[in-house]
Amino acid sequence: MAIVPFDRSVLKVNQAILMGVIVAGYLVGLAYQPIAWVLPVLAVMMLAAVGSPSLNAPRLLYLRWLKPAGIVKPRVVQEDPAPHRFAQLVGGVFLVAASIFVITGVLLVAWVLAWIVAALAFLNFAFNICVGCIMYAQLVRIGLLPLAREPAG
Amino acid sequence: MILLLAPLIAIAAIGAAALLLRVQRVGQRQLVGSVVETAGGRAPLPSILYFTGEACTICHTAQKPALRTLATGIDPDIDIREIDIAVEPELARRYRVMSLPTTIVLDAAGQVTDINVGFASGDVLHRQLVDAGMPVAA
Repeated sequence: MAIVPFDRSVLKVNQAILMGVIVAGYLVGLAYQPIAWVLPVLAVMMLAAVGSPSLNAPRLLYLRWLKPAGIVKPRVVQEDPAPHRFAQLVGGVFLVAASIFVITGVLLVAWVLAWIVAALAFLNFAFNICVGCIMYAQLVRIGLLPLAREPAG
Repeated sequence: MILLLAPLIAIAAIGAAALLLRVQRVGQRQLVGSVVETAGGRAPLPSILYFTGEACTICHTAQKPALRTLATGIDPDIDIREIDIAVEPELARRYRVMSLPTTIVLDAAGQVTDINVGFASGDVLHRQLVDAGMPVAA
């Protein structure tokens, strides 16, 4: 692990996109069910963001447009980004599961899973309650994730 | 129209999970708010108050390992009191703790000599303890 300067605004943009797309998709989906295919798109977006910063679409949107335009201001803090990546991975896994249910036509379960992701994104966006980060800390504590090391110095 | 149930089911699932976690946490409360490393029976020495919380990731992954390293390797006589602000909010108010983790170094008389808001490394804490009067090993 490493405690590094970390811009929390990237996370906020990601959460806003998740909430917006899921809620809008759900409302449209009440009348036009094929819109549920937006969930696999979100799943790919989330997993790509975990895989590489250069594939992180919300980050690129923030760095290339929202931040230069002054629409979203940076909020840089010193912290370990690993818990947030883990939280994104959890969100991505939920959306992958939702995508499987979209493919199999079980849209109720797909939208339930998507709403869970949207609700957790809202908790983080509005109240800084990162449930995925809490899960990460618990997994480190019980030894299922690699033990953290004290940074030098 | 069964899709209208989706948000309700999702929120109910999250609520149920939160309730389960709360029940589990009540069972763990005796483990927090206690002295994690203590040097009983000795003359008063500087000590550390370590304010933490369930949702503080850096507390669990960085600050606590740093304190353990400090207590077991560098300053074995040090008293470190771990305080979960949800369990002991009055202490957090008394020391005006606004962010986690926060570590407060006290001298032997219990006076605050240093306050670290955010992660504090073992070296920083060791230096602050020495400044607060901790004897340096020969």
